[in-house]
Parts: sequence; C-alpha cells; structure tokens
Amino acid sequence: MTTGNGQQRSGTAQVITRTSDRVRPLLEVQDIYAGYYVGQDVLKGVTIKVHEGEIVCVIGPNGAGKSTVFKAVYGIIPVRSGRVLCDGRDITNIPPQQALQTAGITIVPQLRSVFAQMTVHENLELGMFLSRDKDRIRERIEYVYDLFPRLKERSKQEAGTMSGGEQRMLEIGRSLMWEPRLVLMDEPSAGLAPIITKQIFEAIRRLNAEIGLTVLMIEQNARQGLEASDRGYVIEVGRQTYEGRAEELLADDNVRRAFLGG
Amino acid sequence: MSTFSQALINGIALGGMYLILVLGFSIIWGVMGVINLAHGEFVMVGAYLAWVANEWLGSDPFLVVLPVFFILAAFGFVLQRILVNRVIDRPHLVSLLVMFGVSIILQNAMKLIFSADFRRNDTVLDGAWSLSERVSIPVTKFMVLLVALAVLVALHQFLQRTRTGKSIRAAAQNREAARIVGIDINKVYAITFALCLGMTGVAGALISPILSVQPFQGPPLTLKAFAITAMSGLGSVKGALGGAMVLGIIEAMLALYVDKIGTNLAVVASFVILVAALVLRPQGLFGGLRPVDATAS
Repeated sequence: MTTGNGQQRSGTAQVITRTSDRVRPLLEVQDIYAGYYVGQDVLKGVTIKVHEGEIVCVIGPNGAGKSTVFKAVYGIIPVRSGRVLCDGRDITNIPPQQALQTAGITIVPQLRSVFAQMTVHENLELGMFLSRDKDRIRERIEYVYDLFPRLKERSKQEAGTMSGGEQRMLEIGRSLMWEPRLVLMDEPSAGLAPIITKQIFEAIRRLNAEIGLTVLMIEQNARQGLEASDRGYVIEVGRQTYEGRAEELLADDNVRRAFLGG
Repeated sequence: MSTFSQALINGIALGGMYLILVLGFSIIWGVMGVINLAHGEFVMVGAYLAWVANEWLGSDPFLVVLPVFFILAAFGFVLQRILVNRVIDRPHLVSLLVMFGVSIILQNAMKLIFSADFRRNDTVLDGAWSLSERVSIPVTKFMVLLVALAVLVALHQFLQRTRTGKSIRAAAQNREAARIVGIDINKVYAITFALCLGMTGVAGALISPILSVQPFQGPPLTLKAFAITAMSGLGSVKGALGGAMVLGIIEAMLALYVDKIGTNLAVVASFVILVAALVLRPQGLFGGLRPVDATAS
C-alpha cells in the first residue's frame, strides 16, 4: 500500500463506502508489483477494485504505470508480488487466452488494434476467435451491430479505411463479442479529435446503462475520463495516491491542480 | 508476331516458376517479419528430394510434390520451434543472420552428402507442344505454371476462409491485437513457417527438371524471391502472382528483343525493377502488407 502519505491524501478525496463495496468486487487488484525487467518494478503496490456494473477510471501522468496495470491484469507481463482476483478467483499471471476464457476479461488497447486489411465483419468474427460455435458468433455479431448501427453499415468495408472514431468503435465492438464481464480500455480517447472523444465516452456510458457493461479504463484525458466514470484512481510513480468517487476527484483541489489543469 | 507470341509464352511459363518460388518467401516475410535468407537452400533441398526419389524409386518429380511438401513442412515446423522462435522478437538483423547461418549449413551438408556435382532430374512431361510452325509451349514449364496456380488458389482459399488462415492474416496485420483476441502467436508462426517451407520444397521439386540440382543453387533463387517480393508487396498472394508474371515476361522480352543481352543479363532486369519499385512504390506494385516491424509495437 501507499503508506501513510497516500492514505492521508486520499482522505481529502474521501473514500465513500458504497453498498457495492460490501459485496465481492468483480476485479480486485491487490497490492501488485510488476514490471518489464527483473528488478525494475514499474508498479510498486497498486490496489484497484472494480465492482460489477461500474465504470472506473485510472488517471495519472505519463510513465506512472497506468498501462502496465492492464498488462499485468491481462497476463501480458508477469506480476511479481500481490494478487489479481476475478470474482474471488485468483487469476494472477494467467495468459491472455485464459483471461478471456475463464475470467471473461477483454482489453481494448491504446494503439490502433483493428485488423486493418480485414473487413469490419471479419474483425468482429475474430473477437470470438476462441469459439468454434458459428451460430453463436453470428448471433454476437448481430448483437454488436445493434449496439453500433454504424458498424453494420460498414460491415463489408476494410477496417483500416474507416475514420479513427469508427475504428475505435470497432475495437470496442470486437471486445464485446466474447460477452465479457469486464472490459479494460487503455486510453479510449487516444489520438481522437475532441468531438469524437466525446462520442466514445458517450458510447461507453450508454453501454454501461444498456447492458450493464463493467469498464476499467485508463485516461490521459483526466477530466472527460472521470466525468464518464463512477469512481477513479490516481496513479503516480507506480502507486495509487488517490481514490474516490469520480465527482469527488473532480472536485478535489490536489487532483485538479495536478491533472485537470487547475 | 510469332516471335512475340513465343516470348510471351516463355515469359508466362517463367512467371509460373517464379510464382511457386516466391510464395513461401513472401509470406514468411509478411507474416513473421523474417527475411528468410535460407529460402534458396530450402528450394535446393526440395530439388534434391525429388532427384533422390527419381534415382532410387524412379518417381517423376511431379508425382513427389505432396511427399516433398510434407517433409519440408515438418522440417519447417521443427526449425521454427527450436530456432526461429528464439529470435523472432529480436531486430531483423538477428533473424537475418540466423537464416544466413542455416543456409551455409544446408549448402555444406548437401555437398557432403551428394557432392557438388550438377544433377539433372527428368520428367515425362518434357518437350514442347507446337501451336504453329514457330510457336510452341514448353511442356515442363507449362506444367509448373499449372501446379503453381493450383497452389496459389489453394493458399488463397486457406487464408481467406479457414479459421487457421484467418489467424495467420490477423497475426500478420496486428500482432498485439491477435494476442488480445486469444490467438496463439507461436502456433501461428509455426504453422506459417511449416506451410511456407512446404511450398518452397514443392518449388524445388518442380524446378528440378528445369535447373540443374546442386548444393549451391540457392543464393540466386533467394535473391530473385527477394526482388519479386519487394516488388509485389509483402505477404500478398495476388501480388506474388502479378510480380512473378511481370518479371517473367519482362525477362523473356528482354532476352528476345534486346540484342546481345542474352538470358543471363536479362536477370539484371529483375534488380533494376527492384530498385525502381523501392524508389517509386515501396509498398509494392500490388499492395500487400506493410513490414511487420512498422505496424507492431
């Protein structure tokens, strides 16, 4: 944990105990240490909880280790100490395929991740790569088309020829194919125009309201990210220094000065 | 007119040979980002297998295409697992040098086993079909063209329609995203390497009645595959067809129309075209994948 300092400061953005805090969280990152090279941990004790149906946003400066949290949860880099629990089950260091299959966690990475020379339809199909049930795949594609009618219009188009915002929609749509319990979104606003960013956050809120999608996201764009979220965490130099409800973080003087531009 | 027709026919036939020669090289480069400098040596091994089958069992090279495919594919699978896999995430130069090492080992191993003598393989599909008094179709090369086209169609269908094929395309287009949707990248690479070496072995068996079989025949073939791939776009199946045909026809025409240039100097054409293509259309004449290291993070 972040020692007294973090506790004290997070006290200013008081942690409100909600009813959901008493039930078991869907995802629980317990005091993890992880990094890319042995002996150089980027994360030095990060604890995050996400409850079913919640949108949680992680903010913090560049290089603080935000993306590293996701890579550790998804099994792309090893966790050296601490645990990751999904629904109470230990999923620390499971490979990505298993994160998908056993825990139902999908990820929307920060960099463009569509298969650029495949059609929108093929991209969605690949979201269910681990399933061989063709009827089910068709069903899920229709489901995603219902959520994003734009994707249906573009069904036969090569993904790489779509606009940045549409590609982001496709990435989110593809992540929903596997009927995930939790979607990790790494900077959904990265590289998008402000108006498109707004649409993406609206889409995330809408999915949350319509299908109860649980989202843990990282945002560089702290204000918009928090505005779209229920709760937030601030990570600095590998530790979380604040946590609280989104509106409280938005109102907190320290957080405002550091991340929201005053 | 008849000389032009003859040159065109020769060019298309030559293009068929280039097509089967280039497919494996192009796809390994496009999907895995590995420039297979031992490509020509795998062609050579395929050619020796066909020659041995003919010497010992009297099998025609066209009949041993399938066994050669599976032997080379198995070899490729093992080689990928024990060797290539270890260097795949390293910079290009590392895999380049590793494959260069493999090529030297294969050349000298084959020299030890078979000596450096030039061998010629025979096929019953020989001679020429006369279309008119002065125009004829070279039978062996025409048959190679047919097999190459069949392989091309099968490969295209495999990549477009099957689940494994789609996972190969996905891994080629975005390694990170492929991992995220649960594709086992190492498995994809092993399958790709096996498939490509299989096709390359088939190329060797097919050209064994056309080119002399000898341990050091590989390097010029690697260079040719390199030129065609760079010209036609990495990992592009249709591009490989276009590039191979363009080069085959240009070489045949040059040999015919440019006085004293001869077929040997016509080979220079491929490299002139390569340089021109790299300057004018670095993404390849026919589209195709961008180099893996430019897209993957």
